[in-house]
Amino acid sequence: MTREQKIAYSFSFPALAVLALVVVFPFAYNVVLSFSNMSMRHFWDWKLIGGQQYLKVFSERIFYVTLAKTVIWTFVNVFFHVVIGVSLALLLNRPLPGRAIIRTLLVLPWAVPQYITALTWRGMFHYEYGAVNLVLDKLTGLAPVAWLSQPVSAFGACLITNIWLGFPFMMIIALGGLQSIPTELYEAAVVDGANRWQRLRNITLPLLRPVLVPAISLGIIWTFNGFNVIWLVSNGGRPADQVHILVSYVYRAVFNLYRFGYAAALSMVIFGILLLFSIRFIKSTKGTEAVY
Amino acid sequence: MFRVYGLLVILLISCGPRGEGDFIVWNTMRPEGRAILDSLLAEFSSAHHGITCSQVYYEPEELRSNYQISVLGGSGPDLVYGPSDQVGPFSVMGLVEPLEEILPEVFLQGFVPEGLVWSHGHLYQVSDQVGNHLHLVYNKALVPIPPEDTDQMIEMAKALTRDEDGDGRNDYYGMAWNFEEPFFFVPFLGGFGGWVMDEHAQPTLDAPATVAAFQFMKDLKFTHKVLPPESDYDTADALFKEGRAAMIINGPWSWASYLQNDIDLGLTLIPKVSATGQWSTPMVSTLGYSLNVNVSGERRRMVTELLMYLTSDAAQLAYARKMRTIPSRSEALKDSVLQQDPLLRISIEQARVGRPMPIEPEMRAIWDAMRPNYQSVLNGSKSPEDAARDAQEAALKMIREMNE
Repeated sequence: MTREQKIAYSFSFPALAVLALVVVFPFAYNVVLSFSNMSMRHFWDWKLIGGQQYLKVFSERIFYVTLAKTVIWTFVNVFFHVVIGVSLALLLNRPLPGRAIIRTLLVLPWAVPQYITALTWRGMFHYEYGAVNLVLDKLTGLAPVAWLSQPVSAFGACLITNIWLGFPFMMIIALGGLQSIPTELYEAAVVDGANRWQRLRNITLPLLRPVLVPAISLGIIWTFNGFNVIWLVSNGGRPADQVHILVSYVYRAVFNLYRFGYAAALSMVIFGILLLFSIRFIKSTKGTEAVY
Repeated sequence: MFRVYGLLVILLISCGPRGEGDFIVWNTMRPEGRAILDSLLAEFSSAHHGITCSQVYYEPEELRSNYQISVLGGSGPDLVYGPSDQVGPFSVMGLVEPLEEILPEVFLQGFVPEGLVWSHGHLYQVSDQVGNHLHLVYNKALVPIPPEDTDQMIEMAKALTRDEDGDGRNDYYGMAWNFEEPFFFVPFLGGFGGWVMDEHAQPTLDAPATVAAFQFMKDLKFTHKVLPPESDYDTADALFKEGRAAMIINGPWSWASYLQNDIDLGLTLIPKVSATGQWSTPMVSTLGYSLNVNVSGERRRMVTELLMYLTSDAAQLAYARKMRTIPSRSEALKDSVLQQDPLLRISIEQARVGRPMPIEPEMRAIWDAMRPNYQSVLNGSKSPEDAARDAQEAALKMIREMNE
C-alpha cells in the first residue's frame, strides 16, 4: 500500500467505522432477528427458527392489504411531488418579480421539522377547530368534514400533509437541473421554429432526467418508508387501524405487540421490495447514464 | 493523524456512560408532577454527597418502547415510572427487577394492598399514588345538580346541546370525552355488567354487555346527538375549558388545569347505568416506580434508597396536596388536609366502585382489539354486535401472536 493510499484510508476510516456501527451492525442484527422467534415471551432467550416469520408475513392478508395501501400512498405522493415541484421550478426559472422571496416561501414546508408540520396539519384537519373546515365553510359553505374519523378521509388527510411536505424537495432539485441546461439549446430550438411545448418535451424534460430520476427514486424510497406523517396525522393508524402503510404496521407489531421476530422479517421484506424497485427503476429509466 | 484519532478517542470516552453517582428516572408525569419530582430529586441529591438525580419525561408509549430497547442494550434509566399496566409486559420480558427481596418488609407494610403491584408472586412496582381513574367532571355553572344515572345524564346533555348561531353545527355540547380511547368507554362496559378479560387473562368482549355498551355509545352520538362529531382527549379538554361542554369524563390529572381556567368545577361518580342499575366502573390503577434489571451492586442499593424516598409519606403528600392524588401509604392517607378535601373524597369514593386495571400483558392486545372496533361503532361503520364479535376475535388473535 502506498503512502497516499494509507492516508486516503485513514481519512475514510472514521466514516467507515461510524457507518459500520449505525448501519451495518443494526442491519445484520435485523437479518438475524428475522429468522428468530424473539417476542415478549422470548425476549432474552430467543432462538433461530428458520424462515417461519417470513412464511407468516406472506400468509397473512393484512400484509397484502397494507402493501396495496403503501403503493397507493407512494404513487399519489410522488406523482404530486413531481408535478407540483417541476411546475413551480419552471415558473421560478424565468424572470419573475420577487422570485427570491417566492422561492424561500416555497421551500419553507421542507425546512420545518416534519413532525411539527404533521401535528400542525392534524390540528388543521380537526372537525371542530381545524382551519381546513373553517376555510371550507367560509369559502364554499360546504358542511364540515370529519376528516380524521373515516378511514378514506383520514388517509386523504395524510396524503395532503405529505404532498405539502414533499414538493419543495422536487422543486429545488428540478430548479437546479433547469439552471444547468445551456440556453444555447433553447435559442437553437427557437431558430428552428420549435414552440414552447416542443422545447419542454424535447429539451427540458430529457435534460432534467439525470437529476429527476435519482430524486424520484429517493422520493419513492422515502415515501414508501415515511413513518412520521402517516403515524402522527392518523394518530397511530386511526380510525380503526385502517390508516397504515407497511412501516407503521411494522412499528405497531414491534412496540404494541412485541413481535420482534415477525417485525424484523417484515422489515426485510420492505427492504427487498425497495431494493428490487430501485434497481429496476434506475435501469429502466437509464437515469444514471449521461445525456450530453 | 494518529494524534487526531487519539484526541477523538479521549473525547468519546469523556462522552461515555453516565457516572456512578448519576441517577436517572424516566417518567410519564404531567408538568405539575414533574415539577414536584424535580424538587424531590434535588432534595435527595443534596442530602447524598456525590449523587446527582435527574428525570427524563416520555409519553407513555414512547417510554415503553425506549425502555425496552435501552434495557436490551444493557443500559436504561435506574428507575422507570408509569401506570401499573406497564408492569405486565416489563415483568414478562424480564426488564424490571423483583423488589420484594430488596425493599425492607417494614417499609412495604406501610402501603395499602393495592399500592404494591405484584405479578406471578413477585413485586415489580411500588406506587406513589393509587387511583389514576376517571370521574364525571362537570361545570357547576351549567349543571347545578349532577346526574346520578345515565338516563338523567342524557336528558341533561340534550338540554345543554345547542346550535347557538344557527349554522347547522352545535356550538355547545352536553358532554364530551375522549372517544378515541376505549379506556374512557370501559366504565360503561362495567356498568352494563361486562368486563375486558376473565381471571385467565382471556378477553370477554363478545358478550351482550359489550354490545349493550357499544349501543349506548352509538345512541349518544347518533340518536341523542349530544356528542361532538370528533372528540379526542385534547378536543374534549378544550371544549370543557371553554365552557362549551358541560360535562367531561376525565381523571385527577386534569383538575388543576380546569381550576386554573376558572371552571366552577364539580366532581361526581360516573353515573349508574339506568338499564342495569349498576355503577359505571372506571379502571383503577396505580402509578409508581420499577427498578431497571440492569442496575446492580452498590448502585442498586442507592437507587433502592431513592425509590423509598420517592414513595415515602412526605413525597406522596407533596403530590396529593398539589395534584389531589390519592396516596398509597396508609399514614399519608390519614392526612387531615386530604381528608377534608371534597374532590379527593369523591375520588376515593369513585375508586371504591371502580375495578382494578388488569396488569397482564394480554391487556395490551385487548386495548388494541377494542380500539378500532369501538371507533368503528362511533363512526357508524360497524354495528355493536359486529364490533363486539370482531374485537373478541382480534384480541384472541393478537394474544396468540404475542405469546408465540
